[in-house]
Amino acid sequence: MSNGMKLILLIAELVTVGSALIVAINPNILYSAVFLLFAFLGVAVMYLFAGADFLAGVQIVVYVGGVTILILFAIMLTQWLYRLKLKDIGSKFVIPGVVLALGLVPFLHRGLTELGKMIQATPPEKMAEFAASPKTQAIGKALLGTHVLPFEAITILLLGALVGAVWLARPRT
Amino acid sequence: MPANSALFAQTLTQWTQGTWLATVPLWAWALVSALIIIYMLALPFGGIATYIERKIAADMQDRIGPNRVGPFGIFQFAADAIKMISKEDYVPPGGDRFLFNIAPVLVVVGSCAGFVALPLGQYLVAGDINIGILYIMAVTTLIAPGILLGSWASENKWSLLGGLRSAAQIVSYEIPVALSMLPVILISGSLQVGEIVKQQGWNPADPIHANAHFWNVFHNPFTVIAFFILFVGGLAETNRIPFDLPEAESELVSGFNTEFSGMRFGLYALGEFVDVFVMCALVTTLYLGGWQLPFLELDKFWITLPSGLIALIHVGFFMGKTLLLVFVVMWLRWTLPRLRVDQLMGLCWKGLVPISLFNIVGTAVWMWAFKGQSMIQVLGSLFSGGSASH
Repeated sequence: MSNGMKLILLIAELVTVGSALIVAINPNILYSAVFLLFAFLGVAVMYLFAGADFLAGVQIVVYVGGVTILILFAIMLTQWLYRLKLKDIGSKFVIPGVVLALGLVPFLHRGLTELGKMIQATPPEKMAEFAASPKTQAIGKALLGTHVLPFEAITILLLGALVGAVWLARPRT
Repeated sequence: MPANSALFAQTLTQWTQGTWLATVPLWAWALVSALIIIYMLALPFGGIATYIERKIAADMQDRIGPNRVGPFGIFQFAADAIKMISKEDYVPPGGDRFLFNIAPVLVVVGSCAGFVALPLGQYLVAGDINIGILYIMAVTTLIAPGILLGSWASENKWSLLGGLRSAAQIVSYEIPVALSMLPVILISGSLQVGEIVKQQGWNPADPIHANAHFWNVFHNPFTVIAFFILFVGGLAETNRIPFDLPEAESELVSGFNTEFSGMRFGLYALGEFVDVFVMCALVTTLYLGGWQLPFLELDKFWITLPSGLIALIHVGFFMGKTLLLVFVVMWLRWTLPRLRVDQLMGLCWKGLVPISLFNIVGTAVWMWAFKGQSMIQVLGSLFSGGSASH
């Protein structure tokens, strides 16, 4: 990787972590949602550097174009929500939050060490070749080939969620 | 195939080799091409489109239109730009200054970034990336948060209503738009725009292109429907009439951009026009053959054309088709009345989404039944007694 590329990656990482911090500590919930958008964009750039071009595109379409918009939409439609401050929630979520964060640490540690071993085991030229290879076709074949059963199971789950949403939003007569 | 137009790309790289231009790092080239896209494609198009739109509107309403600045008023857009830049920088009291500032930028970034993957000619595409179609879809999603945040930061109920309408509309219509792109991806098996356009050249006399088919819109009956759904969905995604509910003048003053003045309003207007261009260019690329014209193989013309001229002619074809679609968009503006919100959502969820799902299944069945041949190829093999070799 050239120095310019390294700089871009560094900027993406800083934007992601900085935005995530603002999401966590900003008292205004609307600002949290806005910076969530930038965090998602930073993650998409990091996907690109990992060679996952398709995943980066889907990340932006789904998380920026869908999830963030829906969060913003919900905040703007609910008046009491955007007046909500962090200190109004009080301390009742602090202990569960800390427990959850600490509980994640072993999983992250395990995953990162495994990944580090894998990266060290692969020769650098093979890594570069993998990063440059197109992934879209491989993902498609994997989803509709080897992993077709979990894929279909997820589609049924999503269909259930869709029907449930329509049922919740039906006019009550 | 060392065709004549391939020489153009070769000369471009040879031209830089050995000179100081070859030592310029990649990021500098990226910066230069970004500036070229913004200042030589996006901004002039956005500016001239405002003038053209006013002229078309005037013609359709039997008026004269802008006629004061320059011959036939063609410098009207420059005068508008100077006026907008010199206006007061105003943020409404009670509004949110930070969001008010970044919202128009998001809209412009989202629409201009789409230019990167548009194939203006065979070798004239800034980045013929692997996930081209997905890339254009991804960057244009930045427009929706831009409109929504701008409307909220204005601290104005008309703005907020317009912004909420816009967000709901864009999120809903993204689904039929994406589903209408899928038939093309099924046919071409690629998300790369260059590859998709290359497969749409059809010339029965030329053995190399015998396996290619005609424009995707005529590939099978389902793609004809998908083409229209993509165009209608694109109209809704770019907030154009008859789907301009986010800025419905008769209900919401001016909708999401009510409180914006000066160049911030200019950026919103520019973003909208550039977005319309990107949408029309995308429809051209996917369904209307991009820079290809049927039976016209410029590489095998009866006289050998210079490679630069071929590249220029390709750009002409592409721009011609795209601007024709842009004209249709402007024409619709002065023809159709605006939809109601419930009609808009009903059209999307009860009309376009089921039909586009049906199109995908139909195209898949067609690809399976006729082994990927287009309508014209199937008819051709019928008339030649089924003796087609491929």
